[in-house]
Amino acid sequence: MTRRTAAAALGLLVLCACSALGRKPAWEQPPPPVAEGPIVPQQRLHRATLENGLEVLVLEDHRTPRLSVGITLRRGIAVEPLDRAGLASLTTEVMKRGAGSRDALALARAVEDIGASLSADAGWDSTGVGLSGLSGDADTLYALLADVVRRPRFDPAEVARARAETLQSLEQDKDEPEELLSRALDRVLYPDHRYGIPGDGDPRSLAHLDAHALREFHDRLFVPRNAIFHAVGDISADDALARARAAFGDWSGGPVPDPGPAPPAETPTARRIVVVDRPDLVQAQIALAHEGIARTDPDRIQAMLMNTVLGGGGFLSRLMTRARAEQGLTYSIGSGFSMRRHAGPFAVTTFTRVPEVGRVVSLVLEVLEGMKTSPPTEDEFRLAKSYNVGRFVLGFETSAAIAAGLIDLDVYGLPADSLDTYRTRVNATTREELADQARRLLHPERIAIVVVGPAEALRPQLAPFGAVEVVEP
Amino acid sequence: MPGRARRAALAAVLLCAAAAGRPSLAAPALQDPAAATQIAKLPNGLTVLTLVDPSTPAVSFQMWVRVGSKDEARYTGLAHLFEHMMFRGTDRIPPEAHERMISARGGEVNAFTTDDVTVFHSDVAPDSLPLVIELEAERVAHLKITDEVLSSERQVVLEERRLRTEDSPQGRAFESLLALTFVAHPYRVPTIGWRSDIEAVTAAVCRKFFETYYAPNNIVIAVAGSFDAADVKARIERAFGGLEPVQDIPRNPTKEPEQRGERREVVHMDLRSPILAAAWHAPKTGDPDGPALDVASGVLSGGRSSRLYRRLVYGEQQALAAEGAYWEMQEAGLFYAFAMVRPDGDIDRVERGFFDEIARLRREPVSAAELARAKRQIEVELIARSNTAHALAGRIAGDYVSFGRIRPLEERLAAYRAVTAADVQRVAQTYLIDDARSVVHVIAAPGARERGAPPPQPPGPVGPEIR
Repeated sequence: MTRRTAAAALGLLVLCACSALGRKPAWEQPPPPVAEGPIVPQQRLHRATLENGLEVLVLEDHRTPRLSVGITLRRGIAVEPLDRAGLASLTTEVMKRGAGSRDALALARAVEDIGASLSADAGWDSTGVGLSGLSGDADTLYALLADVVRRPRFDPAEVARARAETLQSLEQDKDEPEELLSRALDRVLYPDHRYGIPGDGDPRSLAHLDAHALREFHDRLFVPRNAIFHAVGDISADDALARARAAFGDWSGGPVPDPGPAPPAETPTARRIVVVDRPDLVQAQIALAHEGIARTDPDRIQAMLMNTVLGGGGFLSRLMTRARAEQGLTYSIGSGFSMRRHAGPFAVTTFTRVPEVGRVVSLVLEVLEGMKTSPPTEDEFRLAKSYNVGRFVLGFETSAAIAAGLIDLDVYGLPADSLDTYRTRVNATTREELADQARRLLHPERIAIVVVGPAEALRPQLAPFGAVEVVEP
Repeated sequence: MPGRARRAALAAVLLCAAAAGRPSLAAPALQDPAAATQIAKLPNGLTVLTLVDPSTPAVSFQMWVRVGSKDEARYTGLAHLFEHMMFRGTDRIPPEAHERMISARGGEVNAFTTDDVTVFHSDVAPDSLPLVIELEAERVAHLKITDEVLSSERQVVLEERRLRTEDSPQGRAFESLLALTFVAHPYRVPTIGWRSDIEAVTAAVCRKFFETYYAPNNIVIAVAGSFDAADVKARIERAFGGLEPVQDIPRNPTKEPEQRGERREVVHMDLRSPILAAAWHAPKTGDPDGPALDVASGVLSGGRSSRLYRRLVYGEQQALAAEGAYWEMQEAGLFYAFAMVRPDGDIDRVERGFFDEIARLRREPVSAAELARAKRQIEVELIARSNTAHALAGRIAGDYVSFGRIRPLEERLAAYRAVTAADVQRVAQTYLIDDARSVVHVIAAPGARERGAPPPQPPGPVGPEIR
């Protein structure tokens, strides 16, 4: 203790010395003004469109000898019919299992011999195939990408193997409480829409998927008019474009597939409480959710700022402050909009020890209600803006992140300069607009409450909020 | 087949090098982004590493404290619980205000604890760096530890334990594996701590821990990214220079005795997908055998051409994932095996297949193609890794804490390039022996699953914290 006191005294001395020079601690000085302006390095960015409609995006970065190439399709899981759920995910999985002259093992070796990695994944609204490795291996990276995108083999034995793995993996998901939560939540919000089934599908829909179905889906989805090629890294724009033209210039295909139907505008229409019964758990996973907004919603910036005040800004947010910092009820709590082509869910998610679930649910409902009745304070509003603007810039530290941001804009048909105008648009919002969004978008009176944990202990805690349904995992 | 693929790959490498005129891996002309690191030491023992990279819009400030879960005398989980306490303020900074101030500028402040170190890191825009420095110094000098704050933070940590370990089959598997593998060395203790210790620790114990380990001569600060080195060094000196060093910081004296015979443990949980976890004792970080053990990991589980994937996931279709990897810590190492068994799979069959692949590493040298592939994967990974201010600061601090210097990239690449098939076989024969392994099965309790279901990553650091 004496040592610390000495250290403290010394610290004070240093401090006094500073004050004598007119220096206040940094935390008492006003934060720097919120910066605006472009963030995309135009001098390193090159774009082109090939005759077949393929968009090409090259972002040069010669700091390290790395290169990533890829193809993104502007459609994803959401185009699948309900009874074929899992089609996009299984298709991309099997594309990694043989292409061109190579079977599954030969393809894996070709990728891994050069220390590269191959990815192929379907999201709700886009599908991507990518290869990254070293720039010295550009020939191989381009050739393998073209093979996987244009010449997948869809060997029936590989389809059967991948489907069986998917089924087993869906079963394994039930061992993960967070997986059980998100599945139950999706089912409650979207009982008749693709958003209600896991991205990988379910046992019923997967039973229909064979090599023929996958090939047909691939041919419909992977068409140049629906695609963006990217090259990011240690390559010149001319070289990257010439190689893209050689690999994809003669690629042809049909029209861009339909994006799939919108879910209901309001869901749920009345309060629902669902418990997924896992008697063994000591901690309950909790979500409160209803419909959110689309990625292209004109008020998305205001909605996002409102959400920062509510639960999207870590310790700046009301939810984290109340539940963790003040009451130690959880390790984490947050809220967010899953913005897709159509409105995905708005959800508050957290977890707590089983006996505290009722208290946490009522705290969340109170904070949601409070967000509508007590609009953001001047302080909350200012912090939400500076938080988002600052984080936005730091989020684009790498060239890969900038390219991904630009591709995302293209997928959703948003203005290509959106990254550069983002900070200005954030700074142009008003506190009243955030309050409007809280009133428009938050509906605690009909929000769904989903909890994973022991039903016997949870039922009495949740009964005060409405009728409790219990389901098996 | 492997030979042909390898030749094709080699041809491709040569061709590209010729066509693009860029150095291939074989040419040792690679720029190491950490080469410009400057090392300084304040009179009170604080080490300051600075690495200026003006090409990034960010700067990462990291404070590495040489204390981890291996250093806890009585209360396990103390180093980690204390990491949480570091965010609870001083007389001048209210609880969580530190984090709020950095967040309010869009920065990210967080922390993690391992067996060996506790790390506090902030990634910010350059104009926030002075604030970060003063806030870090403030909490190291004046942290306030009260019973009230401790009791709420204790609940938060217990939630973290429930999340990461108690309700998680993988968390349980690794907790059990470490406790089984290490009998004496404190690496046997889970970093997050045993529940009863977290419940029992007092504010007085926390204060004593703070005074013992959070001393300038026990801290390494690393700053990487876009900043003015002279200005930042001066600020760090002003903020931290007044702290007094601590003499005789206690260090763990315990060494692990030799293991004589296999150890096994079964853990019951409500699950569908059993988990196989196993470990062998291996050398500590920095050992000359490390690169060969990493290459052995690559041969076993480096991608879909690897032996374990091909055998257990693809061929026998018994596992959803299988991995064997070298895990190096400051005082000891492990080579661990991990497999997630398919719900319709057989854990005993997975174990037989896994251990058969280990035996094969001992029995015969790996093929030239597999050796080259594994080495290449490691090299690309090493080159690709340090591309953010955060990654660079972590690399130089981690190296300095473990080795007292920054290992040049070229030195590390050369060590991997030198590994031969005979080396891989030798390290397998030296370390991966049946009599010195520990094996954990996490399975459903017999008769526990009555609801019609089918029968029945190593713990990184605790954190990055959700902060």
